[in-house]
Amino acid sequence: MASHHKWGMVVDIDRCTGCQACVMACQAENNIAVNEEVHFLSRRAHQWIRIDRYWDGDTKEKGVVTWPDVKARFIPVLCQHCENAPCEPVCPVYATYHNNQGLNVQVYNRCIGTRYCANNCPYQVRFFNFRDPLWPKSLWNHLNPDVTIRSRGIMEKCTFCIQRIRRAERVVEGQRGEQLDDAKLKAGNWMPACVNACPTDTLIFGDLNDPNSQVSRKSQDPRHYKLLEELGTDPNVVYLKKVDPQHAQHA
Amino acid sequence: MQEAKVLSYRQINKDLLGNIFKSSNRYWLIVGFLTIIVLGAFAAAGYMINRGLWVTGLNRPIFWGFMITNFVFWIGISHAGVMLSAILRLSKAEWRRPATRAAEVLTIFSLMTAVTMPIIHTGRPWRTLYWAFPFDFQRGIWPDVRSALVWDPSAINTYLTSSIMFVFVALIPDLAVLRDRSTGLRRMIYTVLSMGWRGSPRQWKLQAIAGILLSALILPVFVSVHSIVSFDFSMTISVKAWHSTIFAPYFVIGAVLSGVSGVVTVMIFIRWLFNWEDYIRREHIDALGRLLIVIALAWFYFFALEFMFGIYGQEGDELATRHMQMFEPPWSWLFLTFIITAFFIPLGLWLFRDVRRSFLWMTITTLLVNVGMWLERFLIIVPGLARKQGFTGTWHTYAPSAVEITIIVGTFAMVLLLFLLFAKVFPLIPLFDIKEGQVLKDEIKIGRRRVPAVIRED
Amino acid sequence: MHSTHSLPIGDDVHTKDYKVQLSVHGEELDSKTIIEDVSRGFFAFGAFYKLALLALAALFAVGIVVFVIRAADGLGDASRHQWDYLAAVFAFIVSAAGCAPLIAVALRMTRNHWRRPISRIAELYAVVGLLSLLMFIPLLRVLPPIDGRRTLWFTDEFPGAPVWWNFFGLLGLVIAGLALLFVSALPDWLQTSRRGQGFRAGFAGVFAGRWTGTEAQWKLHRAVLAIMGAFYFLLLIYMLSIINTDFVMSLVPGWKDAIMPAHQALTGIQSALALVLITAFLVRTFGGYKKYFPMEVFWSSSKILMALCLLWAYFWFAAFMTFWYGRMPVEQTILKTFMFESYFIPFLINIFCSWLIPFFGLLMWNPVRKSVWGPTLASCFILVGAFFMMVRLYVPAFNIEDVTAFSLETVPAAVTPNAGDIFIIIGALSGAVFLYMLAAKFIPIISIWEMKEGLLYQRVRTLFRSRFLMVGKPD
Repeated sequence: MASHHKWGMVVDIDRCTGCQACVMACQAENNIAVNEEVHFLSRRAHQWIRIDRYWDGDTKEKGVVTWPDVKARFIPVLCQHCENAPCEPVCPVYATYHNNQGLNVQVYNRCIGTRYCANNCPYQVRFFNFRDPLWPKSLWNHLNPDVTIRSRGIMEKCTFCIQRIRRAERVVEGQRGEQLDDAKLKAGNWMPACVNACPTDTLIFGDLNDPNSQVSRKSQDPRHYKLLEELGTDPNVVYLKKVDPQHAQHA
Repeated sequence: MQEAKVLSYRQINKDLLGNIFKSSNRYWLIVGFLTIIVLGAFAAAGYMINRGLWVTGLNRPIFWGFMITNFVFWIGISHAGVMLSAILRLSKAEWRRPATRAAEVLTIFSLMTAVTMPIIHTGRPWRTLYWAFPFDFQRGIWPDVRSALVWDPSAINTYLTSSIMFVFVALIPDLAVLRDRSTGLRRMIYTVLSMGWRGSPRQWKLQAIAGILLSALILPVFVSVHSIVSFDFSMTISVKAWHSTIFAPYFVIGAVLSGVSGVVTVMIFIRWLFNWEDYIRREHIDALGRLLIVIALAWFYFFALEFMFGIYGQEGDELATRHMQMFEPPWSWLFLTFIITAFFIPLGLWLFRDVRRSFLWMTITTLLVNVGMWLERFLIIVPGLARKQGFTGTWHTYAPSAVEITIIVGTFAMVLLLFLLFAKVFPLIPLFDIKEGQVLKDEIKIGRRRVPAVIRED
Repeated sequence: MHSTHSLPIGDDVHTKDYKVQLSVHGEELDSKTIIEDVSRGFFAFGAFYKLALLALAALFAVGIVVFVIRAADGLGDASRHQWDYLAAVFAFIVSAAGCAPLIAVALRMTRNHWRRPISRIAELYAVVGLLSLLMFIPLLRVLPPIDGRRTLWFTDEFPGAPVWWNFFGLLGLVIAGLALLFVSALPDWLQTSRRGQGFRAGFAGVFAGRWTGTEAQWKLHRAVLAIMGAFYFLLLIYMLSIINTDFVMSLVPGWKDAIMPAHQALTGIQSALALVLITAFLVRTFGGYKKYFPMEVFWSSSKILMALCLLWAYFWFAAFMTFWYGRMPVEQTILKTFMFESYFIPFLINIFCSWLIPFFGLLMWNPVRKSVWGPTLASCFILVGAFFMMVRLYVPAFNIEDVTAFSLETVPAAVTPNAGDIFIIIGALSGAVFLYMLAAKFIPIISIWEMKEGLLYQRVRTLFRSRFLMVGKPD
C-alpha cells in the first residue's frame, strides 16, 4: 500500500503563538485521557505534542529576565520520528520500530512497559500509562473509533496521526488509484490533527519524498535546523528558526 | 592462621551440621520475623501489579526509580560469591574456607531477588515473564537483541545457572555426610542429591577439577553480568550522566565492594546465630578487611573518573545533574551520606588492625558500605533522569511511595530469609573445605619461633 | 621440626632425586650460595655486556641529536605535530617502566612466595623514570593553552597550571620509585660491597651507608617499603590518568571517555609485567641464574598476565561499545580516527598483540603457560601491542589541527613516522634499556635479602606419597 512516502513535518517557530490548539486537537483525535491538575503536578500528564515555553530577554538579573524586556519563545515538541531513533534499539520486545514510511511506530499490544524507550528519548516525547485511562460517561461519544485506547502499562506517543494517513492511502491510492500529495491530504482532512488545528500554519506536514510538497520545499529554508542535531538522531521534523524583528532588519 | 584450632572431624561435623537437625529458638524467631516482612512485600507488589504503576512515585521523566536501583544493588551483592569463591580458590588463599559457601549462596539468592525487580516494575509483568525469551518461532516475533534489556536476562541467567552448579558441586561431599547421618525422607532427599558420593580418590579428583574449572569459567561471567547491567544505562545517549564509557568496570568494582561487604556482614551474622566461633575467626575478617581496603580504593578511582569526566564534558544537562546531586537538598544530603558511608568512614576505619579484627566494627562498617552503595546506584539513576537534556520544562524530582519502600525492604528480608532456610537444609560452611584446611595446615620452625604454614599443591 | 598433625606429613626432604617442578629453593640454595652467586653476577662485566652498553648509548645519542635538531625548529604549540611519535614512545616507556616497580610492590603485598626472584628486576625499572622525566619536559612545552577546549584543569596560571602539576607529579613518582629501589637495595649493597673490590664495591659500600641489619632496621625497612609502595601505587595511577587525559583526550575536541585513563593505566600494568618477565628470561638465560628462576615464576605470572589480557579486552570493549551503539556523529568520528579508519593498522596490531595472540594463541593453553618460553613469548607480543596502542592514541591527538573546535568534524588522515621519528623512537627505547643495564651493574639484579627471607619460610615435606612445598605464613 505504501508508495514510497516519507512523512515529515516542518515547524515554523516564527509563526507559533503558543495557543495550544495543536495540543487540544491531538488530545481529542488520539483518545488521550483528560489531564487534570493532579496529573500535571505529579508529572504524569500526556501531551503528545507540547508547547515548550522559554522566557528570553536582553537584560537579565541573576538569570531572570526583567519586564518589559521579556519575550516568550514557543517550541512545539512532538515525536521527531527519528531515522536513527534512540528509542528503537532499546525496546526488548520490538514494540517500537521504524516503518518504511519513515515513521517511528509504537505497537501497543506488544509493549510490556519497561520504559527504556522513554528514558532514551532525548526529546522526552514518550508517555507511559501509569493507570487505565477513564473518561466520564458523558465523554464517551467523543472518542475516536479509529484510535486504540491504551490500557495501563503501555507506552504511547505521537504517531503523525497514522490513522489519518492510512485512511488517506486507502481512499486516494487504494480506491481512487491516484497519487497522494499535499492538496489531496488537505482536501480530505487527512493532515494530522495538530496540523489541521494550527491557526498560523506553524505546523506543515507532508511527504518528504515528494519534491513538490510544502515540507520538502520548506525544509530547505535557510532558517532550517533540527533539534539536538549533535546527537545524530536524524529527525524527520525540521524546525525553522524564529527571527526577531530588530534582527530581521539586518537580514 | 595464628588462632586456628586443631579440630577433630567429629567436632567439625557436629558444629557445622547442628542447625540442620535442630535449630535454636533464636533461629526460628528470626525466620518468623523475616517471613512476615516478606509477606508484606508480596502484598505490596501484588497491589502494585493489580492497580498499576501509578501507586509508585514514578513520573515523567523519572521512569526508573527505587525498583531499578534495587535491581542493580542486588546484582551487585551477587558478585560476592564469585569474588571470594573463585578468585580466592584460584589464588589458594587459606582464609577463604569458611566464607565460600555463604558467599555463593548469598549470590544465588540475591540474583533471584534481583531478577524479580525488573519483572514487577514493568507495565505488564504478566507479559514480561515470557516475551523476553525467544520462543515464537512460528510467527517470527523475536525479542530485540539490540536491547540491553535482552542481554540482561541472558547474562543473569548464565550467572545464576553457573553459580548454582558451583554451589552444588561443592555441596556434594557435604550432602553425603548428611545422607549418612539422617533417616527417613531426609535421607532419601540427600541420597538423591549426593549422587552416590563415596569419597573415593577418583571422585575427589573429579570434584576438585570441576570446582577449579567452574571457578575459572565463572570469572568472565561474573565480570560480564554487571557490565551488561551497566550497559542498560551507558548505551543510552539521551541521559548524559549515564553515557559514560567507565560504567562497565565502575559497576563491577562497585558490585565487588558491596558484595564482599555483604558477605562479611552475613558471615558475622551466622557466626552469632549458629555459635561458629571456632570457624569464623578474627583472622578471617582481618583478611577480608584488608581485601576490602584494596577494593574500596579501586572503587574510588573509578568513581573519581566517572565523576570528573562527567564534569569534564561541560555539557549543560550533565552539569545540571551533578549540581542536583551535590547541591540541591535532599539530594545533596544523600550524596554526602553516600560518599561518607561508602568510602571515607569504612576505609578510614579499616586501616586499623583492631577495627579489622573486631566483629562489631566490621559489621558496622560493612553495613555502612552497603547503605552507601545503595545510595550510589540511586544517585546515578534518578538525578540522571531528572535533568535529561535541555528541555528544562520536563525536569522534575522523585520521591518513593510507601509501596516501593515496602517492596525494597521486603527484598532485603527475602534474601536473608532464603539464606537462613538454606541453612536449615544444607551446611553453610563447607565441611570438606574446613577438613582440607586442617590437613594442609602445619607448622615450621624458624629459629625459636613456630610459624604456621600451609602446603602448596602446585 | 616435627609435625603437629595426625596425618602423615613427613619431615623435610633432604634428597635431590625428585622430578617435581616446584620452586624448591630450600634444597638447591642456601644463604651463602645466594650471596656468592649474586655477587659474582654483579661484579661480572663481560665484553658482550660492554658492547651492548656502547651500542645502546650510541643509538641513544643519535636519538638525542635528532631531537635537538628538530627542537631548533621550534618547541611550542605550533610545532606540536612534530612530537607525536615522541609522545607515543614516552607514553609507552612511562607506562611500562613506570608500572614495573608496582609489580614488585603488589606481589610483595599479596605475599606471593614465587615473586622473590623477580622483585628486584621489577624495582630496577625505577631508574628508567629519569629518562621519562627528561622526555616529559619538551612534551609539556608543546601543550596548547587550556582556553577553549575541554580539560581537567581550571587555569593555565601557576599554581593551578597543568604543566606544573604534571611535572611535579612525575618528578614525585620518579623520586618515589628511586627511593623504593634505594631502600630495597640497602641490605644487598652491604652484602656485595664485602664480596668484591674496585669502584663498584666502593659504590655499594657508600650507598649501604649505616645499614647493619639490626632488628630495628629490618622493621623500619619493611614499613618503609610498604608505605612507599602504597604511595607509589596511588601516585602512579594518578599520573598515568593525568598524562592520558592531558596529552590525548584534552587535545581531541568532543572526546569524553572516562575509561581511557584507566585503560592506559591497565595497559601499563600489563606491559610492566610483560617487561619484567622478558627481563627475567634474559637474566635467567644470559646471567647464569637458571636456579633462581624456576618454571613456577613464569607459570604463576602467566595466570596474572592472562587475566590482564582479558581485562585489557574488557576495557577496550566497554569504550568501543558505548561509543558505537548510539551512533552519535562525534563518537563515530572518534572511533573511525582511533580504531577503524585512519589508524586501523596500529589498532589491528594493538588488539592482536595485546589480547588475541597472547590470550587465544598462547596463554590459554596449559602447556604454554606451564613453561618458561610461553609467558616470555606472550610478553613480547604484549609489549609490541602496548607500543602500538600508544601510537594510535598519541599520534592522532598530537596532529589535531584545531583543538578548540566543538567536536571532531572530519576523520583526520593517518600520520606515518618519518626518518627522524624512527630515530627518536629507537633512541628513546635504547636509552631506557641502556639506563637499566647500567643500573644493573650498580644494584644487584636479584634481591638477596628477599631470597634469603624466602628460604626461611619454605620447606619441602611429604604428604601421603607426594612431596609438597610448604610455605610458612607468619601473619
